[in-house]
Amino acid sequence: MCYSKKTSFPVLLAAVVSLSFQAVRAGDGKLSIEKVYSAYLRNSGAITAKNQIKGYFFLYQSDKIDRHTNQYTLQILDENLNKVKDIKFEDSKKLSLLESSYNGNTISFLFKNEDNKTLDMKIYDFNGQLKYSYSREFDKKTDELMKEYETRHTDEGMNKNVFDLGDRGYVSVLPMRDGRQRTYEVDYYSSVNKSQWTYVPSDDAEKYAFAEYMGCTDSLIVLQVEKRNHAMSGKSSSHIVGINFITKKKQFDVDYVNEDQILVPCSVVPLEGTNNLMIIGSYFDKGDNIDKDFSKGMAVYEITTSGKILTKAYNSWAGDFAKYLPANRKGKIDDIGYLYIHKVIRTPDHKLFLVGEGYKRTANALGIATTVLLRSNAVGVTKIMITDMVIMQFDEKYKISYAQIYDKNDNSATWSNISDYNSQHLLATYLKMTGAFDYEFTTGDDDNSNFSVCYSDWVRSSDYKGQTFNSIHYNGKKFTTDKIELKSKASTMRVFPAKSGSVMILEYFKKDKRLDFRLEKLG
Amino acid sequence: MERLLAPALILCFFIGSSPVARTQTRDFSPTLQDTVLLSKLSTDYQQHFKEELNQLPSENKKDFQEIYGNRWKNIKEKFDKREIYTDAGAQSYLDALVAEIVRANPSLAATPFHCYFSRSYIPNASYIGEGIILFNMGLFDRLSNESEAAFILCHEISHYILRHQENSMNKYVATINSAEMQSRLRKIKGSEYRKNEQLESLVKGLTFDSRRHSRDHEAQADSMAVVLMGPTRYDPSGALTTLALLDGVDKDGFDLENNLQQVFNAKDYPFKKKWLKQDNGLLGGHARLQEQELGDSLKTHPSCPLRIRLLTPMVGARKRGQAGGSASGGVVDAAKFAALKERFRYEVIEYAYATDDYSESLFLSLELLQTSTSDGYLVGNIGRVMNGLYRAQKGHRLSKVADMPSPGYPSNYNSLLQFIQNLYLEDIASISYYFLGSWHPQLDRLALFRTAYEESARNVQEQ
Repeated sequence: MCYSKKTSFPVLLAAVVSLSFQAVRAGDGKLSIEKVYSAYLRNSGAITAKNQIKGYFFLYQSDKIDRHTNQYTLQILDENLNKVKDIKFEDSKKLSLLESSYNGNTISFLFKNEDNKTLDMKIYDFNGQLKYSYSREFDKKTDELMKEYETRHTDEGMNKNVFDLGDRGYVSVLPMRDGRQRTYEVDYYSSVNKSQWTYVPSDDAEKYAFAEYMGCTDSLIVLQVEKRNHAMSGKSSSHIVGINFITKKKQFDVDYVNEDQILVPCSVVPLEGTNNLMIIGSYFDKGDNIDKDFSKGMAVYEITTSGKILTKAYNSWAGDFAKYLPANRKGKIDDIGYLYIHKVIRTPDHKLFLVGEGYKRTANALGIATTVLLRSNAVGVTKIMITDMVIMQFDEKYKISYAQIYDKNDNSATWSNISDYNSQHLLATYLKMTGAFDYEFTTGDDDNSNFSVCYSDWVRSSDYKGQTFNSIHYNGKKFTTDKIELKSKASTMRVFPAKSGSVMILEYFKKDKRLDFRLEKLG
Repeated sequence: MERLLAPALILCFFIGSSPVARTQTRDFSPTLQDTVLLSKLSTDYQQHFKEELNQLPSENKKDFQEIYGNRWKNIKEKFDKREIYTDAGAQSYLDALVAEIVRANPSLAATPFHCYFSRSYIPNASYIGEGIILFNMGLFDRLSNESEAAFILCHEISHYILRHQENSMNKYVATINSAEMQSRLRKIKGSEYRKNEQLESLVKGLTFDSRRHSRDHEAQADSMAVVLMGPTRYDPSGALTTLALLDGVDKDGFDLENNLQQVFNAKDYPFKKKWLKQDNGLLGGHARLQEQELGDSLKTHPSCPLRIRLLTPMVGARKRGQAGGSASGGVVDAAKFAALKERFRYEVIEYAYATDDYSESLFLSLELLQTSTSDGYLVGNIGRVMNGLYRAQKGHRLSKVADMPSPGYPSNYNSLLQFIQNLYLEDIASISYYFLGSWHPQLDRLALFRTAYEESARNVQEQ
């Protein structure tokens, strides 16, 4: 199997592939090396570093060693799809590779061993030599929780659990279930010496806590943690938690509820040149229920690494946003509905961009008819529509200075009765976790001087009818748009994130059982 | 499109570039390919291939048909893609070089063969089957004299008359179908465990064996080439100088990064250092991989110093034995040799562009522009390629016309590929426009230049 931009390789649906042999055939009824050899693709995925795709991994089961053991080949491809390394090792029969990350010096792989019920982090150097291996157990309930784990802030195709901490090592953030408690665990894995430690929250308030990795500084792992008193009910609170990976201690845990307004963070950005962090999120009046009430606008705080607030900037829907978007005081924008913020991007010249996507509740004719005629509420009387993309720009004082709506076709996200009863905040979370939005991912330069926001759409015009992949590109000065029509001679065509500024286009030709994938730069 | 190709059964000559100062007196205009002739040749060779198929052994016939069929597919592609150069003057010169060899070795007349120039930039020559020998322009334009060209021809003729390719294919089919191999495969298939480990061991043995034979074939072809050169008027020491050239295979003489900074540094659109930014880590496309350093037992060719060492006594003996002495300069037509060398430097650029290999066409143009600093064709082609890259990127098909950085490429070519990857659409448009603008209006006389300049202006406008 060869991966290069112009290489097509036949695939069987069971993904039986040859790893290293050239075709060596023999006549009818006779055996050939190709016929005898087989390898099975177990997992594949992207290798990421600093939220950018740097390569790809393919884990093959390449041999059976004995009743309990398989040989595996871990094939590593670089960001341009060149095969750069094959790593062979033996392990349990029930092995899968969850995620991989890269820090410039080493590559980490988080494996799940179903036989031993362990999560194994293996760190390799560039020569394919195993440098360090770490292992920890997991139980059945935690396993179930891990399978349910969906993040709200991770782009399509990017890591959810494993992240690099620069050249020091890696961190994994995983959900954990202990008795009735549903909480999380942060594991630090060193790549410079054999050292690993685990942070488990000990606070009572974190009995029901959901944590997401937001970023790191040279000493801090920053998480957003949503806490609840009870699993299914009670008021939730949103926290920013900083864990110092040098001291191995929690450095701060702030929820900002004692301020004049409550901030519900959606993104944390380390501020370059300082040790400070910028937190962006929706804000509510003090005393509001963030699960039920409408937010008042978007706020940006600058905080120190001890959690102390340095600056605050508020942009209200009714006052500030309304100058650039037809928004009311609840944040509802004409024809667009409410905005879900997918991405926050800070450029080297300190401009701040927020990438939002609209969603709105509309009457559902089918649901109304079903409710009235069948007296059933299985189908909601309302439905949720996903609407347009919106890019908003903020100046160096974090006040909105520009907004642009990018039209796309509205599509229905949910018809169930969940759309009838839930609040704006919970609905947005539900939509994100179920992948209902059209936003896909953002790709660009390391320093964000150029970036492209990517989303899918459906076009119905005289020239073309079908799905499209779209990008909104910022070149440091202005925005331009680009579109890839996903209808081609191929039976199916899909677009995946790739290295900075590029996408991976995958085309499957059913008749030839051929899968082509190539990297293309966005226009 | 792949920059490094090393088919196992052909002779590969990778030679370091040696810039030669020269001036271009006339604007280059590519030769129009004779498509009627190409079609006729292809049909004739196909007939020859069909006759050959009928003569294949009946045992394991299907395997033979498949392997010979693949070889024919490769040959046909050379005609379909117009790789064979049809210029009558060049062909008659090549025929004359060959005629001198055949005249001095009458036994060759019994096994007819045909030599053609290939428009490929790859410094290579090969016997491709059906009696066809290809002499790549990318190799010819680096040679110093006709004796070196004769050695290359004699080497390929030797592969042909010694039936190296056919013998290898026959051996391959026989091995894979042998009772011993089938028994081993059955045993492996029946194993419950370590099946692939056993297969890998088997393949390793086959590979070592095949590579050893390949190296033996090369050494045989070298020796026989010197024998064939002996009765000719060519200088047998051309064999040694050609092999010495081979030793420069890995030398990157062209400082591409510096060149890009000079060529694309316009006053109104200065060169940006970030266009050259590259990640040298394992995953950045520029890594140095241990696997690339093949062990001697896996090489298809013996090392050049070893080949020289083996040939030196033979060459000395032949030289002493040549009655009339050998001609170190021209035997057929030294002036024509020099003129073709010059022309081929341009033809390979044109062919790379014609076959959608834009990154290679750009690389070769920039390299040649170093010494032909005001060459209208090269300037126009650089603009044409940049505009082509713009169109391709806009249409999301850049990967079809530009290679991606890869550890397998020479570092200077990789730098060019990274440069292309680092450019945004507006950069490509502006680089082309301002580069061509610096040659406007003095090159307006050339249609290639004018068209490229106008297109670049439209692209900039569009951005």
